[in-house]
Amino acid sequence: MKRLLMSKFVIGLFCTLLALPAIAQEDELKNLAGYVDFGDLSATYGEPKITINLGGTMLNFVGMMSSSESPETSDLISKLKGIRVQIFSLGEDADAAKHQFGKTKSNLQSSGWEPIVQVNEDDEQVLVYMKAVDGNMEGMTVMVVDDEEAVFVNVIGQLNPTELAKVMDRFDVNVDLDLD
Amino acid sequence: MKEYDDKWEDQINALLDGELSADDADLLKAKASDDRALARAIVKAYQLQRVMDQVNVERAPHSLTKRLKAIPREHRSAPVFSLFQPRWAMALAAIPLVVIAVSLMRPDTPSASEIAQARHEMAIAFAYLDKAAAITGREIESTVGNTMANAVTGSVNKVIQSENLTSKEKEV
Repeated sequence: MKRLLMSKFVIGLFCTLLALPAIAQEDELKNLAGYVDFGDLSATYGEPKITINLGGTMLNFVGMMSSSESPETSDLISKLKGIRVQIFSLGEDADAAKHQFGKTKSNLQSSGWEPIVQVNEDDEQVLVYMKAVDGNMEGMTVMVVDDEEAVFVNVIGQLNPTELAKVMDRFDVNVDLDLD
Repeated sequence: MKEYDDKWEDQINALLDGELSADDADLLKAKASDDRALARAIVKAYQLQRVMDQVNVERAPHSLTKRLKAIPREHRSAPVFSLFQPRWAMALAAIPLVVIAVSLMRPDTPSASEIAQARHEMAIAFAYLDKAAAITGREIESTVGNTMANAVTGSVNKVIQSENLTSKEKEV
């Protein structure tokens, strides 16, 4: 009995200590007003094909590295505290995924997020939500789902879409969202 | 009476051990000449010492010595290697602590490759945001057009709650 308790204690302690850095980084973002709890998206959409989780420290370094080549980009990044992206490929159960999309939308609204733009087409849904505290933008959430994939983007901090459009030319990245 | 006996017994023992001073020895002998009981006690003590000197100290047999030495080992609990013994548990628990400490002691500055990777990931996020902005801009524009053209049907289910952002999206 004593050895069983000791074994449970050791295993629990070992796992807890190993997970501490990841927990600490996630907790750092969770405490920010612009953080969105997307819930257990994996339960609905499966394992994400892309997961991005950038904290404020790393963004600061990226901003500093960008300051010489593009002050506009550096200025835009300096207002960000975190970026989280989860992208899921949708299989045959795209309808179920779209249904789940509505639940996430409800959760956002109950958490004080304001809908900015909603696009509800048969084959595509786009939601843009913003959270402001005392008139200051604290975060933006963009969710896109079509027949092929579901994209969840949570930007923590201040982001001006107009500024974003200006700096996008400097990033040589293209994504496959159907614009037709 | 008891104090008397103890005193002379100590004197007799000191005498036999050769630790009694000459004056005390003379005093003891003088006393013994008058006290027959004391004299008898001194003689008995001498005889006992002589007998004890004749006793030979023999070494114990090797088998007995070996058996006696084995007793503590036989009664000791058998050492069992187990990761769940307290000392091993502490050692295992210390490993992640050391890993965390080392990672914390590392300089906070990420490497150039890590920054480049972060920049690429940020660009992906921005690309999705930009594309979403383009989609919404297109939809807003078409919505406004449809609404103007067919306000009665009201089939548009796009919701625009921020006039400010709407104007920005139209620019996009």
